[in-house]
Order: sequence, then C-alpha cells, then structure tokens
Amino acid sequence: MNLLHRRVRPDAFDYSRRWSLRTVFAFGCVFLYAPIVVLVVFSFNDSRRGGNVIWKGFTTKYYAKAFGNEELMLAFANSLTIALVSTVFAVLLGTLTAVLLWRFRFPFKPLVEGLVALPIVIPEICLGVALAIFFTQLGWMDTGGLPWPLNLSNITIAHITFCFPFAALVIRTRLQSFNLETEEAARDLGAGEWRVFMDVLLPHMRPGLVTAALLSFTLSLDDFVITFFTSGPNTVTFPVKIYSMVRFSVTPEINAASTVLIAITLVLTWLALRYQKTLNT
Amino acid sequence: MQRIRRPLHLLRTDRRRFMQAGLAVGLSLKLPAGALAQEGQVNFYNWDTYIGEDTLSSFTGETGIEVQYDLFADNNEMFAKLRSGNPGYDVIVPSNDYVERMILADMLLEIDHDKIPNIANIDPMFTDPAFDPGRRYSLPYMWGTIGIGYRKSAVDEPPTSWNDLFASDKYAGRIALMSEPTNVLQLAMKAAGHSLNDWSDENLAAAERMLLAQKKNITAFAPDNGQDLLLAGEVDLAMEWNGDILQVMEEDDDIGYVLPEEGGLLWEDCLSIPVGAPNIDNAHALINYLLGAQAGADIADFIYYATPNAASLELMDEAYTDNPAIFPPAAALEKSELAIFPGQEMLRKIDEAWTRVKAG
Amino acid sequence: MADGRQAAAQRPWVFAAFALPSLGWLLAFFLVPLGIIWLYSVGENVSLTRVETTWTLLNYARILEPEILDLALRSIRIAGLATLVCLVIGFPMALVIATASPAAKPWLLLAIMLPFWTNLLIRTYALLNILGTRGRLNEALGWVHGHLHGAFELVGLGQLGLLEERFTPFTFLGTETGVVIGIVYVSLPFAILPLYSVLERMDKSLLEASLDLGAGQLTTFRRVLLPLALPGVVSATIITFIPALGQFLTPDLLGRGQVDMIANVIERQFKGANDWPYGAAISMVLLYATFLLLALRAFGDARRSAARNAR
Repeated sequence: MNLLHRRVRPDAFDYSRRWSLRTVFAFGCVFLYAPIVVLVVFSFNDSRRGGNVIWKGFTTKYYAKAFGNEELMLAFANSLTIALVSTVFAVLLGTLTAVLLWRFRFPFKPLVEGLVALPIVIPEICLGVALAIFFTQLGWMDTGGLPWPLNLSNITIAHITFCFPFAALVIRTRLQSFNLETEEAARDLGAGEWRVFMDVLLPHMRPGLVTAALLSFTLSLDDFVITFFTSGPNTVTFPVKIYSMVRFSVTPEINAASTVLIAITLVLTWLALRYQKTLNT
Repeated sequence: MQRIRRPLHLLRTDRRRFMQAGLAVGLSLKLPAGALAQEGQVNFYNWDTYIGEDTLSSFTGETGIEVQYDLFADNNEMFAKLRSGNPGYDVIVPSNDYVERMILADMLLEIDHDKIPNIANIDPMFTDPAFDPGRRYSLPYMWGTIGIGYRKSAVDEPPTSWNDLFASDKYAGRIALMSEPTNVLQLAMKAAGHSLNDWSDENLAAAERMLLAQKKNITAFAPDNGQDLLLAGEVDLAMEWNGDILQVMEEDDDIGYVLPEEGGLLWEDCLSIPVGAPNIDNAHALINYLLGAQAGADIADFIYYATPNAASLELMDEAYTDNPAIFPPAAALEKSELAIFPGQEMLRKIDEAWTRVKAG
Repeated sequence: MADGRQAAAQRPWVFAAFALPSLGWLLAFFLVPLGIIWLYSVGENVSLTRVETTWTLLNYARILEPEILDLALRSIRIAGLATLVCLVIGFPMALVIATASPAAKPWLLLAIMLPFWTNLLIRTYALLNILGTRGRLNEALGWVHGHLHGAFELVGLGQLGLLEERFTPFTFLGTETGVVIGIVYVSLPFAILPLYSVLERMDKSLLEASLDLGAGQLTTFRRVLLPLALPGVVSATIITFIPALGQFLTPDLLGRGQVDMIANVIERQFKGANDWPYGAAISMVLLYATFLLLALRAFGDARRSAARNAR
C-alpha cells in the first residue's frame, strides 16, 4: 500500500493482505502453537518425573526410547491407518448425506435431519459403551486373531460412525451457497445426472470436502474414549497407549512420541500435496 | 512369498519385550487369515510400567507361550470395558475392591491352585483376605498404600493426621486430594475417626459436609498428577499412592511420604482370569510364572512397589526392604485398612455426594 | 438456497442411491446401539452388570436434582463462552485463509490443523505447563512486569504506584477461565474449518458492489459478508458448542477438579458409580434437546421453502 500517493483501496476480498487481520491470525497461531512448542522443547528435557514441567537438561534419549518402544510404533501405525480409512468413508457417507438433505424433499425429513446430528451430540463414553455392547452381542468383539488391518475393523466402524455427521454438516453448509443457475445451465446444455454431479456440483463442494476430510482425520486420530471401548487385544492405538503411559508419569518419552507423530503426519501431508501438484501440472 | 519389511525398531535387538508389534505385522502379512495361532498365546491386560523389563520375554523363553501385552490406566475403565463383554483377555490385574466387585458380578473364573505351584511363595498375610477368601479368584501381585506426600521444608513436622488435609486451615491453598470419589470419602471418614469401610448414611453425610467446608482450602482434586503438583511446588501436601510419591522422591530429596496416625488405605493389585478368557491354561502358566521368586524380585526391583511374595522378598536388598515408603512401619500398617466394595446402592449415594461436593 | 427442491418421489432411484448407504449406516451402527442405551435409560440395575428395562422414569427424575441443574448451567455457560471466543478469533483466521493465495492455502490449513494431530492429553499437559502459577505464561508476564516496573522507576514514575511492587501471578488453573481457555484451545479448528468452507470462493461481486455503492469496509463486512457467511457461522457454532459441552478431560486437568461440568457426571456413571441407566438417561436428555432443536429448525426451513415454492 502506497501511503504517499492516492490511497489505493485494497481489493474487496483481499483480507489476507490487511495487517489487522494478519495480526489476529498471527496471534491465533501463537496461541495454537505455544503448547506445541513447549511440548517439543520439553521432549528433550532430562526429567523422568514431575509432570515434565521443570527443565532439567538436554537429552535425546527419550527419542531413542520412543523409537525403541515397539508398541508405541504399532500404535502409531494403527492410529494412522484407522484415521485414513475412516476419513475416506466418512467423507463419502457425509457427501451422500449432505446431498440427500440438501436436494430432496421426502416424508419425515426433519426427523432424519435430527437423527443425523445425534452422533455429534452423544457423549463419547455413552457411544463407546453402546458400541461395545453392540459388537459383543454380534460376536464381533474378539478381533485380535484377525490379521492386520482387519483387526481394526471395529474401531474403524466406530470412527466412521461418529465422523460422518460432522462431515455431512460441513459439506451441507458448503452446498447451501451453490448457485442453482449453474446447474440449470449445465442441464440446458445437455448434461446428464452424473455429469452434473461430477462437473458442476463436486467442484463447488471441494472446499467442503477438504474441510470435512481434515475434520474427520483429526477427530479419528485423537479419539480415545470410543476407541478404548471398541478395542481388544492387539488393537492398540496411539491415544490409548499414551493415556495408559501417562497414568504413571508424564515423561518426555510421551512428548517425543507425539513430536514424532506430528513429524510423520507433516511428511505424509507434504508428500500428498506434492503428488497433487504433479497431478495438476 | 513376499519379502517382509521389518520395521526399523526391530533392528534394535536389546529390547526384548514380547508380542512385538513388528513381528505381529510381519507375520500377519505372511500367514493366511485367522492363522495367528491362539494356542501358545496369552493376552495379558495390565497397568503400564507395571512389570519387569524382561519378565515377559523370559516367560516366553521358558514356556514358549507368546504374550500379547495390552495396557489400561484405570480400574473403572477396565471394569466398564469387561462389563460390556470380554474382548479376549486372559489375565487381568484388578485392584482388591474391583476383584470383589467382579466376583459378585460373576466376571471371574476360579483359579485352579493345582496349576499354580508357586502359590507357596506368597506371604501368609495375603493368603486369605476378606475380599477373596481362600484366593479362589485372584492372586496377589503388588500392594501398597495411599498416604500423604509432603514437602519437608514447608511443614514443621511430617503430617500426623488426615485432618491436616480434610479439616484444618493450616495448609490452606497448598493441598491436593485425589479425584476418585470413593477414595477421598473413605479417607475423610478416617479423618473423622471411623473405619474407611464404615459406610453409613450418617458417615457419608458427615464426610460430605467436611469436604464442602474444606473445599476453599483445596487447590486441586488431582486426577493422577498430585505428585507432579507436589514436585512443582504448587502444593505442599498431597493425598497420593505411595508409588507415585516414591517416584518424585527420587527427583527431590525435599519430599517425603507418611502414613498418618489414623492409618492409610491399603490396596492390593491382583492377578485374575476373567470369564470368557480364550487361553485358560496359558493364563495359569503366566500367573504361576509371575509368582515365581526370581520373577517377582525382578518386577519389584524394576517398579519399586511392595511385593506380597515372601520368596521374592528374600532376594531383595535393604534399600528396598527398609524403605518406609514401600513397607510402612508396623504401627501405621496396623491401622491401615483394605477397602471393601461399598455395594451398588452405596456407590450411587457416594456419587451423589461427590457431585454435590464438586458442584458446590 | 435449494433446500429440498426436489421431491424424492420424482427421482426414486437417485434418492435411493443417496439414502441407502448413509441412512443404512446410521441405522445399523448408530441407531441400534443407541437403542440399547435408550432401553438402559428407562431401566434399572438388577445386578452389578445387568440392567433390566423396567420402564421406570426414576433415572430421568434424578436429573432434576439441584446440583445437576447447577452443573448443567455451568456447562452451558462455559461452553457458550468458549464458542463465542472461538468464533471471534476463528472468523478472522478463516477469512485470512480463504483469501490467501492458492499456493499458500493448503499450508495455512495445515498450519492450523497440525496442533490438533497431537494427542489431546499431552497438549493439555503442555497447557498446564504454560498456565500454572509458575508456568511459562506467568513467567513471561512477570518478566514484562519487572521490566516495565524498572522502566517506570527509571523515568521517575515509580512513586506513582502504577504497578505493584511484586508481580502476583495470575491464577488460571482451577478456575473457569482456565477451563474456557482449554476448551477454546481444543475447539478452535472446529470453528475455523466450517467458516473457511463457506468463505472460500465466495462471490466477490457482491462485496465489490457494496463498496462501489459507497459502503465502507466495515459496513460491507457487517451487512454483506457476515450475512452471506451465516450458514457457516451456524454450523461452526454447532460443532463447537456441542462437543464443548461434552468435555470432561479439560475440566479435570485444567480446572483441577474444581470446575466440574455435566460430562464429568456422565463419565462417572459409566465408570466409578457403575450406574449405566442414570448415565444413559442424562445422555438421552442431551440428545432429546438437540434433536428437538434441530428437527424444529428443519421443520421451519421446510415450511419456508414450501411457501417459497408455492409462490
């Protein structure tokens, strides 16, 4: 912005350029990352006990411990797998639900709208217990003998169940800003049902899909309560493992493990973005 | 047959914990579905950091039985989960009042003592407790107390009574209690001079009043991190498990642990076999191994809790056997009590009282 | 707004294609387990592990106890405050991301999501580290205080007593403030994401028109942008407020057990108190309330769009 000359009005929607908003964004990031920075810094702390609050000295031994902890590594792998699979299905089911509610009129629609929102409201422990009883009644509980990744099926089903309403909500919100004239134009030009969906609706929905995927992934990756109740022997996930470790002491090993998980997720995302870019070019 | 890629961590050979994740992953990629053999396996559900470093691998070495080792963090959670249906655990480690609960709920299988010759190692003090007469459903694993952790430089003398935490203004703002309703109310009753198992409506109401009055002096109802608050200097007195305080005593010499004159709460963690266990014989084999003299000594040496195994005790050194935080002095021990299960009806009243304390 | 513009009967196969997987899944894996819990809520404990459905309303009656209502009010208050803060901070952040360059966008989204891929418990412990009386925040504030104080002395304003001699650390932990901070921390991305989703590729021409007609930036924001983003605000509110009500870990750790919320009570019923019917009843009340609100809203929407279609 040139202050000496005639003031150039910033572009109507160019909020990211405005310093007032950038400050808020920066403040938000500081707020979000402060505990993460503390977490990473204290993963190098040479303190075994005391909640890892007082800095005692620098060491990397807890990273060695974390990598040497086979169960922890398996727990990572399980959590990432469950999260990825759940995200895919949650976004799929969420899209179907969102379009269903957005486009169609049918008897008892308000009832269905209410029901679809229930998994968001239900306290996790309640749903966890309900699913545990449900799976036990079906005889599906003992999945420990199944090969990986089938032994994670119960947990994955549970995650999809509580993630897809979130996805549906977000996608539906996005759909509400869809300009119908675009669809009409497409039909006028001869596009069939499928083409309209793929070429007109889907691109508009894309930010909603991305948002839904991020949301589902986050919800699934860090879920403890529901996972705890639907897991059995040989199906340990990262949050469950961490909770049991923390019971005895908050050691830097836990911080180290978390930092490693962030690093892995970061790398995976970077790879995915790179891959997407090469697809687009 | 495809080449199995071993995960990085398996290149470290010095860590011999068993049912390695990597091994399981590798095997399952190779074998047909469902072929992870159930014979020669036992599913062990234990607290974290509650076993010796090489205990399970030694067990596998000796018997050939592989151990699937899973962890839980809380008796309540374990009970709630098993109540919904046993997902396949063979050996679990409930605390004494939960053993009682599970016996009442028919959730435990009887242990065949004939398959456990090492039962002879157990100290006579633990062979016939009230919560499991004749030890038909459980065998002792570790025991300890709930008492008071304190900062020596912040008090004139080690706390002598539970009333210092529950009824006095002396340490206002420097007190941490636990967050488990039953334990806190039990010790409040002890402070009032009753037995911690004397659950009556009057005692409960009195304990509730005591807590409501004292609430302003309490810094925290700490969920498992009372010892951390003590170490960080946020509180000077903490009601805590002896093992937790022992851990922070290692970090800071200024911290001590004591059982007040009314006595503390005795707890005992036990090995049990839940109903629905798929590998009952292997479960017995594991329990028998854990009760062995050397195995017990290794475990005690690593996790530093009190062992009920007389044979193991003989193998331990003085630093362990003379440690008053692990083995309390006889006088205090006599007045300490094992908790009994209050009964479902009383559990409800306890919860209601606790909700009122927390909401007030 | 195209809500419900097509009757299902018109295109039954398309309708079925959308309805069967989604509603089928909901039925099989949610409604059936929920049914079990619902039956518990009108049942009683007949033993330590069995619940019999006796069609009693006693569990629901217990919810009307004063302490439960107190906790419910406190929960609504805390969750509401946290949601408000999330929206106030989240909206500008979503705006920045939505209007950033296409190259920067994925990285900005990643930047705000990344903290939430850390384990909740560890993050909460990190917050404890920061917010304690001797935590990092108070350290920083104390440092600022000390230097400001020194500066005042230097300038000769020391006698005016603008600042206290010694810095008294703020108490965050064990108070509602601490719990609100904790819940905001946990919920922020859930507020940002739906807002971003709505603001992304928003129709600029309307904003430009408003500016061309002479409205200032602020007025345009208030009267054009905000109303257009309203659906996003509503869904952000829903997915922030409702899970906030269900928080029990944050009150336990950051509230130091002093700031119990309704979810703590529910959790205790399924665990220590072993009173599943009561826990189920409280959960069901939450579900009834939300179901009613959403169904009513949907009903209102349906009436409005029917009226519009009729015109």
